[in-house]
Amino acid sequence: MSDTLLPLLVALPLLGAVLAVAAGLASERAAAAVTTLVLAAQTGLAGWLGSQAVLDGPLSVGVGGFVAPYGIELVVDGLSAAVLVLVAVVSLAVLAFATEDAPGGTAFYAQYLLLVTGLSGMAVTGDVFNLYVFLEITGLATYALVASAGTGRSAVSALKYLLFGTVAASLYLLGVGYALMATGTLNMADLATELAAAGYDSPLVLASFGFIVVGLATKTALFPLHTWQPDAYADAPDSVSALIAALVSTVAAYALLRLIYTVYTPAFFEAVPVARDALVAFAAVSIVVGSVLAVTQSEIKRMLAYSSVSQYGLVVVGLAIGTPAAVFGAVVHLLGHAIMKGGLFVAAGAVADLTGARTVDEYAGLADRFPVLGGASAVLMLAMVGVPPAVGFAGKWYIALGAVRAGSWPVAVVIFASTLLTLAYFALLVERMFVAPASESVLAATDGGRDGDDDTDALGPSPPSASRPSRRALALVVGAAVVAIVLGVVVTDLGTALEPTIDTLLSP
Amino acid sequence: MTDIASLRPALAVAVAAAAVVPILVSARRPNLREGWTVLAAVGSFALVASMLPGALDGTVYVADFGPLVAGVEFSLRADPLGLLFATVASLLWLVTSFYSVGYMRGLDEDDQTRYFAAFAASVAAALGVAFAANLVTVFVFYELLTVATYPLVTHDETPEARAAGRKYLAYTFGGGVAVLAGTVLVATMADTTAFTAGGIGALANADPVLARVAFVLLIGGFGVKAALMPLHSWLPDAMVAPTPVSGLLHAVAVVKSGVFGIARVVLDVYGVDLTSALGVGLPLAIVAAATLLIASVIALRQDNLKRRLAFSTVSQLSYIVLGIAVLHPTSIVGGLMHIPAHAFMKLTLFFTAGAIHVETHTDDISEMAGIGKRMPLTMLAFGVAAAGMAGIPLVAGFVSKWYLLLGSVGAGQTVFAVALLLSGVLNIAYFWPVFYQAFFESADDHDAKPLVEFSLGGESRSLLPAESEPDPGTVTDGGHEDEDDHHHGGPPAGGWEHRGWRGGESTWFMLGPILAAMTGAVVLGVIPGTAVFLRLVKVIVTAATGVAV
Amino acid sequence: MIELLTTKYTYLVVVALLGIGAYVMIESDNFVKKIIGMNVFQTGIFVFFISSAFHTAGRSPVVQSGGGGGPFVSPLPQVLILTAIVVGVSLTAVALGLVVRIYERYGTINERTLEEVRADE
Repeated sequence: MSDTLLPLLVALPLLGAVLAVAAGLASERAAAAVTTLVLAAQTGLAGWLGSQAVLDGPLSVGVGGFVAPYGIELVVDGLSAAVLVLVAVVSLAVLAFATEDAPGGTAFYAQYLLLVTGLSGMAVTGDVFNLYVFLEITGLATYALVASAGTGRSAVSALKYLLFGTVAASLYLLGVGYALMATGTLNMADLATELAAAGYDSPLVLASFGFIVVGLATKTALFPLHTWQPDAYADAPDSVSALIAALVSTVAAYALLRLIYTVYTPAFFEAVPVARDALVAFAAVSIVVGSVLAVTQSEIKRMLAYSSVSQYGLVVVGLAIGTPAAVFGAVVHLLGHAIMKGGLFVAAGAVADLTGARTVDEYAGLADRFPVLGGASAVLMLAMVGVPPAVGFAGKWYIALGAVRAGSWPVAVVIFASTLLTLAYFALLVERMFVAPASESVLAATDGGRDGDDDTDALGPSPPSASRPSRRALALVVGAAVVAIVLGVVVTDLGTALEPTIDTLLSP
Repeated sequence: MTDIASLRPALAVAVAAAAVVPILVSARRPNLREGWTVLAAVGSFALVASMLPGALDGTVYVADFGPLVAGVEFSLRADPLGLLFATVASLLWLVTSFYSVGYMRGLDEDDQTRYFAAFAASVAAALGVAFAANLVTVFVFYELLTVATYPLVTHDETPEARAAGRKYLAYTFGGGVAVLAGTVLVATMADTTAFTAGGIGALANADPVLARVAFVLLIGGFGVKAALMPLHSWLPDAMVAPTPVSGLLHAVAVVKSGVFGIARVVLDVYGVDLTSALGVGLPLAIVAAATLLIASVIALRQDNLKRRLAFSTVSQLSYIVLGIAVLHPTSIVGGLMHIPAHAFMKLTLFFTAGAIHVETHTDDISEMAGIGKRMPLTMLAFGVAAAGMAGIPLVAGFVSKWYLLLGSVGAGQTVFAVALLLSGVLNIAYFWPVFYQAFFESADDHDAKPLVEFSLGGESRSLLPAESEPDPGTVTDGGHEDEDDHHHGGPPAGGWEHRGWRGGESTWFMLGPILAAMTGAVVLGVIPGTAVFLRLVKVIVTAATGVAV
Repeated sequence: MIELLTTKYTYLVVVALLGIGAYVMIESDNFVKKIIGMNVFQTGIFVFFISSAFHTAGRSPVVQSGGGGGPFVSPLPQVLILTAIVVGVSLTAVALGLVVRIYERYGTINERTLEEVRADE
């Protein structure tokens, strides 16, 4: 019975977007309220359907009564359930920040819900062309959201993103075209058998794989296809940066995982080992170069953006290695990265609101003035570095274990080194925040600057209320830090929940 | 050996960790804040001590918290080796807590709340390292220890402190990565990372090349914190931290967690037999022997007292590693025994250095001539601890060195015994001048210090003109004239004033801990059999090697 | 070769369109031309799909009541492309909206000029 409710996961936010526009005619607050309600309902629905999928096995339904493989099928298994819940929860949480920070306007809320529509659609669909449509809906909403900062810069970045994103999606579509020519079907499960029948070494199949991977890798922002991403993250409004950094590339990486294992299946990798090796090498380069570029950035949001290039490299390495441990690690890191990076972007936004500080140098002395915000951000950064017991460690552990078990030594070295590479840029920031003399913008924000001589200053009563971080932003950052640690602690339970799904994915 | 499920090991860690919260909350009330520190130190020491009788009888308390990652339990296990380290760390934390109060207030330092909170967190992490029951759990606490000690290293917030902090993070996280890599390899080869007395059986059947790689990674990783050369250079730089930090963390908790990790790897992961079969013990022993000699030589040339002590630490830590790496039961007893012995002695030495700094703002040995008059009790304690370092009987260092020597000879590796004796001589060479000039020279009449002041390889210029014009580095009169110097230490005009032997030289907050630590060192030297450590060490070695010592 | 050219020439058109589109997107400094390039690129893909549906002597896929009547051209790619065109139109609209915004802010739609303007910011 819960099967039939699957389309609601897409329909609810889509309808909500229309409602938000309608409510916006009354007032902007009404639009915000509608958006909150819709996302709360979406969270409940995703949680309920997700738990059904995990407990009772995958749910699926043919949309409009057309049975698969002819109609569009929606499928929720453990993996898509995890992504769905992530999308719903993160978008609801970031909304709390967005209503304070956002440029506002009814259109913003409509776009916000459209983005959730697209992301949820990508997570539930079982049809490769349908995935293209949702990919583009996601893209359209994201371009508009990036530009909603209203600045000239954001419009340029959004246009750049649009051009890249469209070409990426078009390449994906081209890949789908080749697959369609080879098999005559678009249903993922059906494609898996038909592609095997067509022969994995057929040029059509190989071409389709190549185009699909390149297209989705661009959306995921792997080096060297990442160039749209730092601009987009840096110039978007802070709440939008948090949302898209947490979700958009994450869901693209999920789509890559889904395509590789549900459509092409591990048998394809066995038949064409060079495809796997190329993907692993591609992602490994991304880990290293992304980190190096992150170190060289002076602007916080750009640094975080390049950090994403590196972290998605780690995720793709994990999913390309393809042992159960590595794939699970990739999923854990995917979810964990979304939480950590989302929290860090919210923190960056809150700091910018408070002090106007946007560069690494301007962050100097921040933690002395805003100890809770600084402390929670530091926890998130260290979690990303991979300090146990946070989730960053858990993901890395499984990916590394997978790489070592698979005997891919160079990859294992890169994975271990990635800890130090991540440390390189975050340690710099932590040092600035905690043990450097306060920068001018930080001083200005705290009432003309009080002297640091009072040793209890850092933890005593906070500065005047005007210069305190907003409760919501603070709650989000602290919440993200707590979730990052809790996820790391309960990772084995997550493993138990996802084990059947991953076993099914990886069984030839 | 029987395992008993008990929360006690976890509680010992939790008490120290939980202290962070009330310490932060009572930031505005220093006395209450320090009260929490002392309370937590007493609490966790009591918990650790309560497990000692059981450990001697072969009872092991285990606290299990379910899986950390697939196939690996997060579990804390108070076995004898863990208890050895935990007892040292928690007992000396108590001593250091009082000293910290005297030191930090004496200098009127900033950010004392952060300092005490980070201190408690560091000790909690060190206790976690001690009790961790498998490599992954060790890794968790090992990394947390790095994070918790970072604010302590950078406490001064000067560019120098920040540079030291950066170096510290780079080195120790690098080590952490190596430990993680080694752990993953072990987990892959043996399907378990749980410590087993005598070694994990499945490793013996593993590919020997991989097993060696994993060994090198693990030892290299722990070797960073154990300051094995060439991975030691963070340690002297970290001496920029406040002295209680240098004392407890960089002579006891942090560096010993590295040494302890090496002991775990050799004794409880690979086991003595497999280590020997793989042929990796000897290279490790050579590295350790080289480290202890080279570091001693470098120490000779350090003028800053804390840096000299730091190189002494580098050298002494390698005694422990050497003892373990020789793989002879007696030498292992010596090595492990040196963990508490060195802790008590080095803590005394650091405390005296800190007391001198607080009272007179003097950091350089060249300015300490005659300081015995000003701080007699402090310098006496220094002398006793230094004698112990050199291995003079009746102080703790003698006992451990005795076993080390016996073990090296017994294992047929006499060359290491020679290295140990040579190092003892070097120890005297770098400690004796400090003590000698403190009591037997005065500020305006002391000998030159060619080793410290002259460039390496000797001076090629004639020294004659220097006699008419005083050498800039040498203090020939009461006032210190070097304006560029970052501190304003040295004796006041007219030489050191005379303070009596009844504690007029400093506060009892500092003198008490100094004398307590010194007493500990002497007790360990005079009645090692009665003090618990030697018995504990023998239990450990018997379990690990199957030979009763 | 000749046969390939006569029967599969649409694929050459596809390649040409993709190439032209990509070239214009990369080479042109004018944002509007870039968007035109993007459209040409997408059109190449549309043609690719439609070509793949072609069947020699195929008829429009309207099945008679009695069934049979084949061979038909494949209806599926045509439906897909109908959707893709809609997507393409929306993208173009958003892109042009952004160009208008850029023009309002900077007074130019030329990438190089824009860089100069932004360098002065």
